[in-house]
Amino acid sequence: MSVDVKMAWRNIWRNPRRSILTMTAIAFACLLLVFMLSFQFGSYDTMINSAVKIHTGHLQVQAEGYQDKRSMRLVVPDPNAIGSILDETSGIEAYTFRANAFSLVSSKERTYGIMVIGVDPIREANVSTLKKVIRQGSYLSAEDMDQALVGELLAKNLQVGLGDELVVLGQGRDGSVAATVVQVKGIYNSGMDEFDRSSIHIPLKHFQDVYDMRGSVHEVVALGTSLGKIPAIKRAVAGAVEDQDPKHNLVVLDWMDLMPGLVEGIQLDLVSGLILYVILIVVVAFSILNTFLMAVFERRKEFGVLMAVGTTPGRLTKILLLESITMTIVGIVFGMIAGSLVTWYFQVNGISIEGTSEVVRQFGIPERMFPQLSFLSVSIGPILVLFITSLAALYPALKVRRLRPVEALASV
Amino acid sequence: MKKSTIFMTCLTVSIVITLGTTAFAQDPEALVRAAFDYYRGKASVATVKMTVHRPDWERVSTMKAWTKGQEDGIFRIVSPPKDAGNGTLKRGREMWTFNPKVNRVIKLPPSMMSQSWMGSDFSNNDLAKSDSLLKDYSHTLAGTETHEGKTVYIIKSMPNPDAPVVWGMQTLKIREDHIFLSEVFHDEDLKPVKIMTAHDIRMLGGKLFPMVWRMRKADVEDEYTELTYSELTFKEDLPDNLFTLSNLRNPRR
Repeated sequence: MSVDVKMAWRNIWRNPRRSILTMTAIAFACLLLVFMLSFQFGSYDTMINSAVKIHTGHLQVQAEGYQDKRSMRLVVPDPNAIGSILDETSGIEAYTFRANAFSLVSSKERTYGIMVIGVDPIREANVSTLKKVIRQGSYLSAEDMDQALVGELLAKNLQVGLGDELVVLGQGRDGSVAATVVQVKGIYNSGMDEFDRSSIHIPLKHFQDVYDMRGSVHEVVALGTSLGKIPAIKRAVAGAVEDQDPKHNLVVLDWMDLMPGLVEGIQLDLVSGLILYVILIVVVAFSILNTFLMAVFERRKEFGVLMAVGTTPGRLTKILLLESITMTIVGIVFGMIAGSLVTWYFQVNGISIEGTSEVVRQFGIPERMFPQLSFLSVSIGPILVLFITSLAALYPALKVRRLRPVEALASV
Repeated sequence: MKKSTIFMTCLTVSIVITLGTTAFAQDPEALVRAAFDYYRGKASVATVKMTVHRPDWERVSTMKAWTKGQEDGIFRIVSPPKDAGNGTLKRGREMWTFNPKVNRVIKLPPSMMSQSWMGSDFSNNDLAKSDSLLKDYSHTLAGTETHEGKTVYIIKSMPNPDAPVVWGMQTLKIREDHIFLSEVFHDEDLKPVKIMTAHDIRMLGGKLFPMVWRMRKADVEDEYTELTYSELTFKEDLPDNLFTLSNLRNPRR
């Protein structure tokens, strides 16, 4: 260890209170950044996964153009063939088939135009939260035919309860009039108001009979084991589907294609988060600049003595920089460790945000949030702090060069 | 009632005056009204074949239609057998639909009015608000052309301020013998959205009438719905009890 490093280290501990305060400020800034970034990333994962589980799934196989046009005749003709592709793809947790038709649904009192969704009761339960969000009555069983699950808000609008009849009137795949009477078996509340206001679910078999689907479906919906694997799974499935469907009538869509609104929401949130971090970092930078600057002012006499005995200004700058960098690094290391520990605690236990549940529910965010530690969330904040504090330390370290020994010696 | 008589008197007077001054200048308002009266008649009974055409697909169904004035109409599908018995009743601007399979009459909610009618390119609004052109728009003459040796008036119809309308503008072509040749529906930016054209004019139900009406979206040539009249009789009157919910449910004829 050279003399300079030794001197810098000793200088730090000559006034432990001042140094510890500075290091604590840096550590606290790092802690905050690590936690906030992890929380933000974690909330995105939770948001995406919960949104995906309400309805869309991570991946869907559809007929080309169905996503935009929602036309009855754009179908996946052989869903079981797609199913066997998904069975062979690793990373797929579960999949299900669905068919949709915009139809009139009428109770004795009222009529609404809504989406009728045909679901496979057994498979659906593994993919979406539909089974878990039944609030009244029960979920569909495998042999149910003319039974329906109705959104809570729609049930209220239609003024129906369990066991009441609903008339469904729509248009079949062949353009014929599709009509059926179904009984309300269950009422669900997914937390997504729009969804609960405008959809009913009936068994897929019954849907296929009524709407003349001849075994076809509109969507094959798949859930992956983790969000990170989705791009790879999408490529694999798209390749296999293309082999089987040389006319390219089918497309594979991921959650970003299926929910462009969610992606935009996340981008917006990231930008507003970024502004917050910039403000935080600027505040931290100024407080650190302040402590460094004060330290130099307090030590004018000391520097005067050093220069009087022949220390060059360059060496003085070097020692000062070494001091501040050492403090910064110690602060950052402690900050990262403390930040990770705090984040890890909440990652295990979750953060309850019940107070805002009304707002939160609309976006389909669960009431408990889990921050997500990752290399990115732990490193971005501290690296920025390191950069900013180094810049802040540069100013006093260079200022010291202009010190005149005689004047400096005279100061208190 | 009084208002409309005054209006009609004014209209007649103005027509007489204009006719007196210039032989051929037609009053566009009167022209549109005359064309409406001509094609609706006082009452009518018709059998119509409806063809919904898509590039890869086509569907034909046949229906019987009864209309009375501008306000009332009842339509019932005769074939294909799968859809036979499905009916639609229109009274004023309200519509009901009946399905024999579930044996229920459903009143169409306002939110459904812009949806397609029986899977065609016609919307429920096209039917329910068919008299809107008379009530909610003011018409100006935009030009003339000739068709089979007869003068055709091109009329621009702009919605009256605050009128509850769907379209931003309509352009009509009406032949001098009051036959509608085409109707173009424009959106708020005055871009054409849907185009209805009449073809194959021949003697039908005792007067010249277009046998074929075609509705298509303005930007897609190959997607349209065609109505072909196979029978048409104009009547002086039809009984009011024809246009009732109970007749929609239990047809008397």
